[in-house]
Amino acid sequence: MADVFQFLSSASLVKLTGRKAHNLEEMLDLIKTCSDSSIFYHTFCAFLQMREVQVPYNNDFALWASRSLNEQALAEKLMAVDLSEYNTIKRLKIHLIEIIERYREQKPDAFKKIANEPFYLYDMIRIVYRTDKFAYGLKSFCEALPTVSMYSIYYHFIESRLRTRLQDNDFSIWIEKSLNMPELAHLIRKIDINLYTLEGLRSRIIQLIDQYLSETSRASQTHSGGQV
Amino acid sequence: MTAPILFDYKEVVGPDIIEELTILASHVGNRSIKMVNSTAVGGGVAEMLRRVVPLLNDLGVKATWDVIKGEEEFFEITKSFHNALQGKEEYFHEDVFKTYLKYNEMNNREMEFDEDLIVIHDPQPAALIHWNQNRKNRWVWRCHIDLSHPNQQLWEFLKPYVEQYDAAIFSSALFSPELAIPQYRFYPAIDPLDDKNRELDASYVDGVFEKYGIPRDKPIVTQVSRYDPWKDPVGVVQAFKMARKYVDCRLLLVGDKAADDPETDKVLAKVKAEAGDDPDIHLLLFSPSIATEINAFQRGSDIVLQKSLREGFALTVSEALWKSRPVIGGAVGGIPAQIIDEYTGLLVHSPEGASLAIRSLLTQPDLANKVGKNGHQRVKDEFLITKNLKRYLLLLLALDRPQEETIFLH
Repeated sequence: MADVFQFLSSASLVKLTGRKAHNLEEMLDLIKTCSDSSIFYHTFCAFLQMREVQVPYNNDFALWASRSLNEQALAEKLMAVDLSEYNTIKRLKIHLIEIIERYREQKPDAFKKIANEPFYLYDMIRIVYRTDKFAYGLKSFCEALPTVSMYSIYYHFIESRLRTRLQDNDFSIWIEKSLNMPELAHLIRKIDINLYTLEGLRSRIIQLIDQYLSETSRASQTHSGGQV
Repeated sequence: MTAPILFDYKEVVGPDIIEELTILASHVGNRSIKMVNSTAVGGGVAEMLRRVVPLLNDLGVKATWDVIKGEEEFFEITKSFHNALQGKEEYFHEDVFKTYLKYNEMNNREMEFDEDLIVIHDPQPAALIHWNQNRKNRWVWRCHIDLSHPNQQLWEFLKPYVEQYDAAIFSSALFSPELAIPQYRFYPAIDPLDDKNRELDASYVDGVFEKYGIPRDKPIVTQVSRYDPWKDPVGVVQAFKMARKYVDCRLLLVGDKAADDPETDKVLAKVKAEAGDDPDIHLLLFSPSIATEINAFQRGSDIVLQKSLREGFALTVSEALWKSRPVIGGAVGGIPAQIIDEYTGLLVHSPEGASLAIRSLLTQPDLANKVGKNGHQRVKDEFLITKNLKRYLLLLLALDRPQEETIFLH
């Protein structure tokens, strides 16, 4: 019997730090010295908010570099950071620092610029909690998915890898390990989150499951003798 | 109309959001919270508390609301505090501070603070904490005003009181001063079910435009704001006139007039002079306006402007975005938090920029639809009263464990 999947969700209480950056040197210092939860807020949480309004940036650092500093090349490099590849904030932080330091070597003049608007550093307290939604198999998973909040979908698809330390989303892990459906798990794993809102992501997962079920059903009919 | 209950919000925010609120509330359990402010009616804080307190009770949190008392001399002092904390130059005699403390002490004697969390709103009751040094509960100061450039003499007096709290809450990083206590950000919020924001019948909207003689034969560009120099109504007329060289449209300016505000007449005279006898410019002045009519003006407009030069948070932007209107906002105060330029609206810095934005939105319906739709989503995510309920629940949970970055609730 499959392990039961309980949907979790998360929420954040945003803290003001009083710290800000007016230029890239100060930004670099902020990233080097801030807490992991600050990095989490400006990347993972920012991504969640920006996806919902279809802003193509996936973190606040890229948005600021583009909009307030007009350093588009740096913004693009920061935007190219795929959050789903990170299962620790420490690694993500190191990568962000590397990008900005490399940019300083390539374009030292950019570090002399003063931003139109300062970057305000926030921090946060993350609260993770269980919902009352469960899946006992693929059918009940499909029934539950449209009813959970987008925060729950976001938690399982992106954020939880910081807890599991795995480079995978919870849905794919459960479908592969507990339902023994590695092909479906792989299809869901391959979804490019950067192209979807969370509602879009929800629809895409349901669509992939429907396709998978109809294909496996067709295959099993063919295998058992084709049309009757 | 009876006040909405939590269940009524399901339709506008979605059942999943309400379900998550109830789950968080179940973790908060049987705890209690007391809100304290200085007025029961009028003003944004009282309006917000009137809705938030019953809704917290709907969620099972024992929420109460107390209003401090005072004579005219106290409220004159706190009014001057309010202006000075937002930067007005003023010198305060020592007696002023003594009177302020006298009323706070008097209120403290008459009030009880047995709840788990005490939330003190704004400067008027801020010193109450001084007489509660041995408290076992948590006290938080919720500041709704812009404290980024406070009058230094006054701030030196108030700051030691503020720093006795367990935490402070501000509406934006832009508005917060340096403090030795943790600070949280609670965006202000609109209520999607109040008269200013609820859905209206199209026939009612049509009727309101008809009532005030505003033809809807061409696109309508509207700014709803007091006739105040910082809202730049003159700049709005200039922007409109520049835009109309390229696109045919009407301008509607809607503003309230306070009974004793001579400034309004001066500004209105300047706006009239700028508008001349242009039949496509409609100026309305209310004293006071009717909430559903303001709602109708916003809903019936093709573009909503908030071209301020200086702002607090400017929740009128969220009101218009909630109605999926394309909004053009001045890039000041809390407006950039609501408008992500080109995605949830357009940000401008001058009448020329506003003119270009009007032309862009009126000639590119796809852009207008996109920013309107995204703007609605942005408000749904961050600026609704349900989000504020969530913030209070999270605060109740987080204050128990101040050292933890991530809290797992089991």
